[in-house]
Amino acid sequence: MSKSYRQVHAIKGISLDVGKGEIFGLIGPDGAGKTTLFRIMTTLMLADSGYGRICGLDIVKDYFKIRRLIGYMPGRFSLYQDLSVKENLDFFATMFGTTLRESYGTIKEIYSQIEPFRDRRAGKLSGGMKQKLALCCALVHKPSVLFLDEPTTGVDAVSRKDFWTMLGRIRQSGVTVFVSTPYMDEASLCDRLALIKDGEIIGTGTPEQIIRQYPYRILAVKGRNMYPLLKALRMIEGVESCFSFGDAHHLAYRPDRTCRQTILAEAAGMGFPDCTAKEIAPGIEDCFMQLSKKWGKN
Amino acid sequence: MWKYLLEKEFKQFFRDPGLPRMALMFPVLMMLVFPFAVSMDIRNINLAVVDNCMSKESSLLIEKCTASGYFRLVDICQSPDEAQRLMDNNRADAIITIMPGFDKETALGTGLPAGIKVNTVNGTKGSIGSQYILNCFRMYLAAKNPDTASTPAFDISDKYYFNPYMDYKLFMVPALIVIAITMITAFLPALNIVSEKEAGTIEQINVTPVSKTAFIVCKMIPYWAIAFFILTACLVIAWAVFGYTCRGSILWLYLYTALDMIVMAGLGLLISNYSNNAQQAMFLIWFFAVIFMLMSGIFTPIASMPDWAKAITFLNPMRYFADAMRSVFLKGSNPLDIWYDAAGLAALGSVMVTWSILSYRKSE
Repeated sequence: MSKSYRQVHAIKGISLDVGKGEIFGLIGPDGAGKTTLFRIMTTLMLADSGYGRICGLDIVKDYFKIRRLIGYMPGRFSLYQDLSVKENLDFFATMFGTTLRESYGTIKEIYSQIEPFRDRRAGKLSGGMKQKLALCCALVHKPSVLFLDEPTTGVDAVSRKDFWTMLGRIRQSGVTVFVSTPYMDEASLCDRLALIKDGEIIGTGTPEQIIRQYPYRILAVKGRNMYPLLKALRMIEGVESCFSFGDAHHLAYRPDRTCRQTILAEAAGMGFPDCTAKEIAPGIEDCFMQLSKKWGKN
Repeated sequence: MWKYLLEKEFKQFFRDPGLPRMALMFPVLMMLVFPFAVSMDIRNINLAVVDNCMSKESSLLIEKCTASGYFRLVDICQSPDEAQRLMDNNRADAIITIMPGFDKETALGTGLPAGIKVNTVNGTKGSIGSQYILNCFRMYLAAKNPDTASTPAFDISDKYYFNPYMDYKLFMVPALIVIAITMITAFLPALNIVSEKEAGTIEQINVTPVSKTAFIVCKMIPYWAIAFFILTACLVIAWAVFGYTCRGSILWLYLYTALDMIVMAGLGLLISNYSNNAQQAMFLIWFFAVIFMLMSGIFTPIASMPDWAKAITFLNPMRYFADAMRSVFLKGSNPLDIWYDAAGLAALGSVMVTWSILSYRKSE
């Protein structure tokens, strides 16, 4: 499917398949088109071309039926801040034609964590609790598919980990989870994922598959003058790319054209004698960099 | 489901720190303060007199003016320059200059050598003030020479229908109700919908199987209830405080209010459709509020507007609503007498509601 806003092509000819009962991650930087895809799939917006189906129902024709089948949690907290926790839950349960008591079993595990605050206004909750409440509201009608648009953006590391644990449990209860995130480190927690950049899917598969098809080898290089070093490393023959990555540079090289010793020697020749380089396994972010570079060339 | 949507709207309304108080204060303020504030009765006109005659006759004239209760004598000046200075300093609104020989000429009946000078920086005060002065002169002449030629052969007396004492407050009460109802039923729901847009909650509602119609109607209902409450409160206050009662059937007041609400609901939805945040909505609201009020005939009569301005008033729902409310309240009209107001409201209402529904659908 495709969608553009005037001149800007938000998503260009995307094609995706999500299996039943899996956690499918849509991973890409800000502005890649993640939210647009979510809004189209949750029947909030129409695509310019293409089609989509959820549980066999067409997202345009059967949009009304689909709304009963899906739960959607947008990236921004968007529940009623002036209603209490319980009122929000009651309200959304009623809107979906059910009651809190009826669906208590589904959300019990998450709801029990915020139940002590059930009479507090939603606007007065902390970030992590707001997130849990939003998840409860999205789950309150026992949806078959859960859409989570950047649920962990702006949430601390511990809460993020908790959140993914919760997602694992939700999947166990048979719900398909379609989640987007800009954090590459969350990719390995998905069953399958799609990498998205500038409105195009640049790679799909299980995290292992994506890492396995990575064609180069990676060195983590550290030195004293990091920025000049980065520029120097990029000049070396056989080096595909080099990006700064936390406290080290991730250098991708072609094993058939060069090796660790050669690179270290060349770096020393360019005035960086005290570099250290360690062979590491590629991560999803390295794959993303490589794929987006490759995609850009095509 | 409808019940819950409504319950939510009412909960949110009563939890808002300002809205319930505003709904309560609005009619009270409207009825108890504004009728006095917007009154066109001019009192306390500061009067300076230049008396060049210094006779018994001239002081009699001055006394006539001050006794009327509309004037406050600031000073009796020696020279015209001095009086002019008073006016320049904004201490005098009007100057009466009495010429030498005033007493003789009036005694002979040959003339009335006196001049009136009025400050018209405030146009209304100026024109009404000069008329008051002329009236005082006429009364002076009439009292002085009951049988000379200076009294008119005809006795013209004005009789005001439907508001015999030309009580401005009585005239403004129904008009103020019109303003209050318009504010409540058009602008508050517009702001409410836009704030749901801003908070993103409207998206959460949109992914539920709730129809948009149900959502919008449930948004409007509380404001309709408030509008009827305000109408009732205003009528009660007008009766309890001023002793004004509606000459026509109160039923017609409610009928026309209901009709106006539909127009305003359409306008409110229209504003919310075309604005993405409260700021934009506020500006649109302010724009419409000012145009509606100035072009409605509430403050200035439509009949005295130029033709092109008159044409614009036909697009103004407040024009019809205000006319209807005044007619029913002051004249006791029934809908057959003022069918054109109902027709105007119905026409504008159908256009606005259709347009707003179409533009709302498009945003899907």
